[in-house]
Amino acid sequence: MGQLIHRYRGAIPWLLMLPGLAWLAVFFVVPNVQMFLFSLSEGTLLTGFVSPPDTWSFGNFPDAVTRYSGNFVNSIVYGGLATILCFLIGYPLAYAIAFRGGRYKSLLLFLVIAPFFTSFLIRTISWRIILGNDGPFLGIIRDVLGVVPDNFSVIGTPLAVVGGLTYQFLPFMVLPLYVSLEKVDRRLVEAAQDLYAGPWRQGGAIAGALLGGFLAIALQVGLGYSRLVGDDATPGLVALAALVGGTAGALVGASMVSQAFLRVTLPLSLPGVFAGSILTFIPAIGDYVNAQLLGSPKTQMIGNVIQGRFLEQNDYPTAAALAFLLMAAILLAIFVYARVLGTEELSGGR
Amino acid sequence: MADTNLAERAISRRAVLQGGSLVGLSAFLAACGGSGSTAVPSTGGEATPAPSTGGEATPAPSAGGDITGPLNFANWPAYIDLNDDESASPTLDDFRAKYGIEVKYVEDVQTNEDFFATIAPALQAGLDTGWDLIVLTDYMAARLVRQGWVETIDPANVATAAANVRDELRGLEWDPDMTYHFPWQSGATGVGYNVASTGRDLTSIGDLFDDQFKGKVTLLSGYQDTFSLVSLLLRERGEITNLPPDLTVEDAQKIKDFLQPYVDSGHIKGFTGNEYLQDFGSGDTWVAIVWSGDLASSGGDDDRFVYPTEGSIIWTDNMLIPKGAQHKRAAEAMIDFVYDVDNAARLAAWIYYISPVKGVAEVIAAEDAELAANPLLFPPADVTAKQYAQPDLTDEEDIAFNDLVSLLEGA
Repeated sequence: MGQLIHRYRGAIPWLLMLPGLAWLAVFFVVPNVQMFLFSLSEGTLLTGFVSPPDTWSFGNFPDAVTRYSGNFVNSIVYGGLATILCFLIGYPLAYAIAFRGGRYKSLLLFLVIAPFFTSFLIRTISWRIILGNDGPFLGIIRDVLGVVPDNFSVIGTPLAVVGGLTYQFLPFMVLPLYVSLEKVDRRLVEAAQDLYAGPWRQGGAIAGALLGGFLAIALQVGLGYSRLVGDDATPGLVALAALVGGTAGALVGASMVSQAFLRVTLPLSLPGVFAGSILTFIPAIGDYVNAQLLGSPKTQMIGNVIQGRFLEQNDYPTAAALAFLLMAAILLAIFVYARVLGTEELSGGR
Repeated sequence: MADTNLAERAISRRAVLQGGSLVGLSAFLAACGGSGSTAVPSTGGEATPAPSTGGEATPAPSAGGDITGPLNFANWPAYIDLNDDESASPTLDDFRAKYGIEVKYVEDVQTNEDFFATIAPALQAGLDTGWDLIVLTDYMAARLVRQGWVETIDPANVATAAANVRDELRGLEWDPDMTYHFPWQSGATGVGYNVASTGRDLTSIGDLFDDQFKGKVTLLSGYQDTFSLVSLLLRERGEITNLPPDLTVEDAQKIKDFLQPYVDSGHIKGFTGNEYLQDFGSGDTWVAIVWSGDLASSGGDDDRFVYPTEGSIIWTDNMLIPKGAQHKRAAEAMIDFVYDVDNAARLAAWIYYISPVKGVAEVIAAEDAELAANPLLFPPADVTAKQYAQPDLTDEEDIAFNDLVSLLEGA
């Protein structure tokens, strides 16, 4: 018996992996092969499909890209902005919970994930009500403050879509950040302080101003409030946004960022940043519910197109091609990102 | 009994619509439930299979085996009558009581295309869709029939329906002998608006594009309603000569080119199915292309429907039994049940659509003169003179139209 185990020792890891591998084979590999064949097919559900090897419609891919480039751009911009916003909101939050949470840590973490006990759809529809015509948001800025006209609406704007995405995926950012910040050895921070890692006023101000300015421009242009190029470009507005963002960033950078944070805490939390942004960006870029419920025809993302081609037009080939392109784009983005941050960060720097 | 139903039409279903759809209507009997012919004892509680007490013309026929439930019935929102507190439907309760089976009435059809997409894969694969009775508009019903995805209706089980269906609804090209379908209701596509928000009464399709309403306008998704209706506006302006049933791909391109700037500028804020009802309720939508009866039955006091001066679109939604339905006999019983004149009158009086049943006009006229003059139930001659059917397209044209639609709708 012992000999038997010894002889097949090499097989044990494979046996342990068997359930997972079988799962992947049945629910990932097979559907993907199927989808790949669809992406090279022609026809619709009603007219019938002509599939490989009878036809090899590689043209589906370039057609899909040219036709739906606007939706791809929307996805990347909205997904990217939502990831950045999640990071901006999530990092201070995770930091505060990890370093200052004290005995309320568990409660605070619970509050972060508490919204998940409600259905994703219900939460999105709630935003429709909150931002809607008779909701509290417009109730304040339109009816009480009177700063916007009567037919003003937030629903249907990119702001609503990005806001929805940010809200939905914030916990995906906070939890990995929390885990990596929690692991930071406080003695390292103390040691850094002992070794003259003091405040970082000048550097913080400059770095903060640059980052703040860049973010303000990204938000303003990404949300469609102004344009950098073209006939209706508004460089004045962009400059104003950059000024406001830069000033705010400089203040934050100068007053709140220390050298110890910059040299110890931040580098040690990078695995969390990496994991958090991947976990936020991937679902955000493929999401279609927020654009569907909070957006307008102009803010439709690639997920909406895939959903529409699959479920309304019954145009499976185009939908499959788009799904593959989205997958490829995400893999490429992760690859580049991993190269920049370093793949070893994924495993916690080991 | 029936007159109380007509008189006590609930005005607003907004609360119900905002709270969700009518999934799983509780089995409460309506306090005033019961039609003129079936007396259902108000037990104040569960739907006991009440004995069919006297007066019912046809005892439940037995052809084709026993009627077994539950009847899985997929219909559009705002398409069934409700009792006063909007907790149950008298029609469905009476049906339950008469046949002693459960009805799972689900308002799952928001647009023809979306619903078709949910059942098509199962039908294609020869599987049961889970539905026993579905309601789809003419062109989509015809498509299902062409595909052979619809069960034939046993004439022996629908004697009332066969006798009572209005003559002008018979002899359709895609199902001349009513082998596969019976109409549920007919209605029109026109312009709906909230008069408190618009500040004036609207009369035309052109009013949809008034600058004052920028950002508060929705159109119906797909080309069957929106493109048809907008074509009437462009026809009035001399840009299109064809009537809606004869629209060509070139016409569709013109319509798309006309609408695109309004989408780009944000004037048109979206394309919807039946969910425009929620947007009217919250004030997010002021003006929209809508179906005729919805705002009257389920909108607010200030929500109006108008047959535009340029003309309107007329259509019929049809009951079909999808291939492989598990409770076909129950579906046939439902078809026959809603063709009973009193049942049909009660239904039409609540939902404000055009009943396909002969004699409904007389029943309503006898009980409620005001309702008998309602143009939603009985469109006047000057309206019907300018009503047109939806486009009748080949598969290739359908794909071309849908391409334009998807460009316009952004996805």
